Amino acid sequence: MSAAARVEDAVKEYGAGETRVRALDGVSVEFAAARFTAVMGPSGSGKSTLMHCAAGLDTLSGGRAWLGDTELSTLGDRELTLLRRERIGFVFQAFNLVPTLTVRENITLPLDLGGAAPDPDWLDALIDVVGLADRLHHRPSQLSGGQQQRVAVARALAGRPQVVFADEPTGNLDSRSGGEVLGLLRSAVDTMRQSVVMVTHDPAAAAYADTVLFLADGRLVDTMQRPTAERVLDRMKAFDGRRSPAAAR
Amino acid sequence: MNASVRIGARSLLAHRRRLVGTVLSIVLGVAFLTGTMVLGDTLRANFDTLFADANAGTDAVVRSADALADPAVPGGVRAPLDAAIVDRLRAVPGVAAAEGAVQGAGQLIGADGKPVGGQGPPTWAGNWIADPTLNPYRLAEGRAPAAPGEAVINRGAAKAGKLHVGDTTVVRTPDPVRITVVGIATFGADADGMGPSTFTALTLADAQAHLTPNGSGQVSTVRLRAADGLGQRQLVERVRPLLPAGVEALTGADATAQSTADVSGRFLGLFTTLLLVFAGIALLVATFTIHNTFAIVTAQRTRENALLRALGASRRQVLGTTLGEALTLGLLASALGLLGGFGVAAGLKALFAAIGFTLPTGGTVVKPATVLLPLLVGTLVAAGSALAPALRAARTAPLAALRETAVDEAATGRSALVRTGVGVLMVLGGLPALILGATRGPSLALTVGGALALLLGTVVLGPVAAASAVRLLGAPLPRLRGVTGALARRNAARNPKRTAATASALMVGVAVVTLFTVFGASVRATLDDTVARSFAGDLAVSAPAAGAGGSGVSPKLAPALAALPEVRAAAGLGRGVAQVDGHGKQLDVADPEQLAQVTDLGRIDGSLAELGADGLAVSRTEAAARGWRVGSVVPVRFTDGTVTFTVRALYRGGGVTGDYLISRQAWQPHRVQDSDTLVAVALKPGVSLDAGKAAIAEVADGYGNPQVQTRDEYAESAASGVDMMLSVVYALLALAVLIALLGIANTLTLAVHERLRELGLLRAVGQTRAQLRAMVRWESVLVAAFGTAGGLALGALLGWALTRAADSAGTGSFALPVGRLAVVALVGLVAGALAGLRPAARAARLDILQAVAAV
Repeated sequence: MSAAARVEDAVKEYGAGETRVRALDGVSVEFAAARFTAVMGPSGSGKSTLMHCAAGLDTLSGGRAWLGDTELSTLGDRELTLLRRERIGFVFQAFNLVPTLTVRENITLPLDLGGAAPDPDWLDALIDVVGLADRLHHRPSQLSGGQQQRVAVARALAGRPQVVFADEPTGNLDSRSGGEVLGLLRSAVDTMRQSVVMVTHDPAAAAYADTVLFLADGRLVDTMQRPTAERVLDRMKAFDGRRSPAAAR
Repeated sequence: MNASVRIGARSLLAHRRRLVGTVLSIVLGVAFLTGTMVLGDTLRANFDTLFADANAGTDAVVRSADALADPAVPGGVRAPLDAAIVDRLRAVPGVAAAEGAVQGAGQLIGADGKPVGGQGPPTWAGNWIADPTLNPYRLAEGRAPAAPGEAVINRGAAKAGKLHVGDTTVVRTPDPVRITVVGIATFGADADGMGPSTFTALTLADAQAHLTPNGSGQVSTVRLRAADGLGQRQLVERVRPLLPAGVEALTGADATAQSTADVSGRFLGLFTTLLLVFAGIALLVATFTIHNTFAIVTAQRTRENALLRALGASRRQVLGTTLGEALTLGLLASALGLLGGFGVAAGLKALFAAIGFTLPTGGTVVKPATVLLPLLVGTLVAAGSALAPALRAARTAPLAALRETAVDEAATGRSALVRTGVGVLMVLGGLPALILGATRGPSLALTVGGALALLLGTVVLGPVAAASAVRLLGAPLPRLRGVTGALARRNAARNPKRTAATASALMVGVAVVTLFTVFGASVRATLDDTVARSFAGDLAVSAPAAGAGGSGVSPKLAPALAALPEVRAAAGLGRGVAQVDGHGKQLDVADPEQLAQVTDLGRIDGSLAELGADGLAVSRTEAAARGWRVGSVVPVRFTDGTVTFTVRALYRGGGVTGDYLISRQAWQPHRVQDSDTLVAVALKPGVSLDAGKAAIAEVADGYGNPQVQTRDEYAESAASGVDMMLSVVYALLALAVLIALLGIANTLTLAVHERLRELGLLRAVGQTRAQLRAMVRWESVLVAAFGTAGGLALGALLGWALTRAADSAGTGSFALPVGRLAVVALVGLVAGALAGLRPAARAARLDILQAVAAV
């Protein structure tokens, strides 16, 4: 099983002197290709930082990060930009769409930025899967939160990236809309062999993944294959009581 | 469509309400610039047409070659020709007609006894030229003058003076000449006159008698018409060998071009430069407003830009989007401004007409450069102002998309230190330069350099000072308005960079207004002091001089007044031009002994009584500058040749007399058309002002009714010109201040939008709509107060420096017009409150639930 992305001895520190915070403290993980990986942990465990660094949104203080065979720390701003545009898809918790563009324009935005023409068959299939064929010319403000997030997923998949990174994609949604978004991500992995990495604190969301990585205090503490919501919840409960206030971010 | 372009276009459309202020400031600035240029083009073309029409039938002009520069006469003063040359020229083969032309200043008096025309456009008198092709005027009514005392006047003058064929009136040349109107003429086929000027045409003999120095046998120029088939240049070639030394011939086309160039170069050049300076100030103020708007809009779009960066937009794409928006906006607004510019051109013309300064009429002329330059300037100003915000947008970190909110950050840490350092350096460098330039020297260049450094330094330091300044200015607010006032004060201080940028625009506007107010008041005070110090007489008789659209006062008036039993002394003060020691100078011409009794020339070295025909009196400062003493020998060149003068007296300058004084006797042989600008009269002891005034007015009436004023009235009327100029300047600066206020309104609107959640929260916890409105309004007033206070202080300092630096003789006064400046301050505050009205109303309309839910 080859890795779609991985980090090695990843260290990330914020601030200086007295206020120095170590968000990542020597983490080494692999995100398998064509698999759905969830990253979990209590607040301040470093799970978001890990994702930002693996996705080239932020740079590591120490250690290395790869996307496929590309080592991110060697890349300049220009290369990182191209990497994000062509090889990575993003789904954020909120503010995911450009409010002035239509649904269709939002979906093709990464391709448009690169000046590439979208493959129409692929695009149609995608729009079909997310179920927004009749909303293509609406503005984001005319959609519900769940619909907006489905558009964001479609946009992340549009360029057939190496990895889709999703940061709390269901954090702002009710459970039904959240379920639709997670189902979309799941089917992307199953039917399109897409690699997906998702940060979440919701055990029910993590249950959609193939693998769950548990982080605490900037370290990888556990890995769970074929998770269920109950098992994830039990594992999470074990973190209670050993939360470090210094790591709160 | 390209993604960057699409995003830019969409965001322009989506934010169009927020950009209204930006568009308006560009539109206003560009409209002013266009208006100025269109007016300049139009006037230049109008003058060109006028002179071309005046010379339409003239193939060649013969005149004295030597011209002495005279600030009052475009093209300078030339000596007249011997009239005998006309007959000689008429005999030259190829000359179809030759006519002597006499031209001088002649102020026509209307049916109501008042002068026709006045400030600005010239009032001409001359001879009626018989040859219809050489004479640009056509008889519309009546006939040409044939007998002494008969005259033709132009139709415009006839209308303005309510004069008809058969009426008798007076033309001041400046000696009063009684004339009977025998004809009324149009200029060319149908114009009322040559522009707004007036023309009184006499017989050749009358014109020579009143307008040439010898009184007969002289003409100003000779106009020639070529025989059929002979070109203008060939005619000139034929005539040239026959001319005596010092006389030249030039083609009619060249004469037209020269006249146009003289007017364009001097009057129009100054006029358009002045207007362009004000257009520049308006655009500078607009720059602040545009920059501020883009800075805020970009800050508000940080998350959107960060999202684009996260999705793979390159820095250049984000930069391109923002700059593209600014360029599009600039181009659109400039195009609108261009259209508005034609209205402004008409408005400016009306403004100058309203203060009695008539410009020639004619169709509007637009040159390609007049369209291209404002478009380019407006677009570049918009793009340039948006450059820094666009660069900041391009540097947005992709992670910023994930943060809760991101607003424009205040200068903190290192950047604040750098800013403070640079600002303090500029102020520390500018202030001494300003003071040194103003007091030692004085050096205008050093002062202006210092002033610019000081202005820039103040703008740079603005953000550092803004927070504490606003807190200080707003100190009474919490007590006055309770929590509303306290919130307003804190809101104004929460983003010092933005507050400073907004206030800077108003500061520049108010500083320039203050500068002109102080400078104007100082010039007024100088005039008052000049009259108070040097005018020892009781009454002044004056009329607009030749350059100011009149013909001055008859030199015969002073002796006539001196003969009155009520009068102790009366001295006429004439004005001549000459080159003294190689430098073009104005000379004051007077009877030295009479002058000494009505003016105070301070301590005299040497003797005024001994000036004689070759003596020169010089002001002490001018003599020092040239290294002259009593007894120095100085060559003086007049229109008719050079004479050696001896410096016989030194006096204190800076009074009603200038730097050079010669006797009437010395001026007599060199004069072209003699006139006095002022007759100063001292009454005998025991004669009341009223009685003296009445006696003088009776005599003056016979000399074409010049103005008789007491000393105070004379000082007041001299200063009223300053007030008039000042009101024009205020009208022109109003635009810059308006743009600055638009900037305040715009910033507040954007701030309200940005603080939507916060405002919703305040409303939710019980702030009334009225309180919310008051809060926004007070914030506006505070920002305006900051700008106004800074502008007043800076403007007063610059006004003082300019007054001192411009006063090379060291005799001027400085005045700080406290009352007027208080009005400026009040206007600034009230305008600030007005600027806050719309944003306050918008804020008050907001729906609480929506506002709290807004992301």
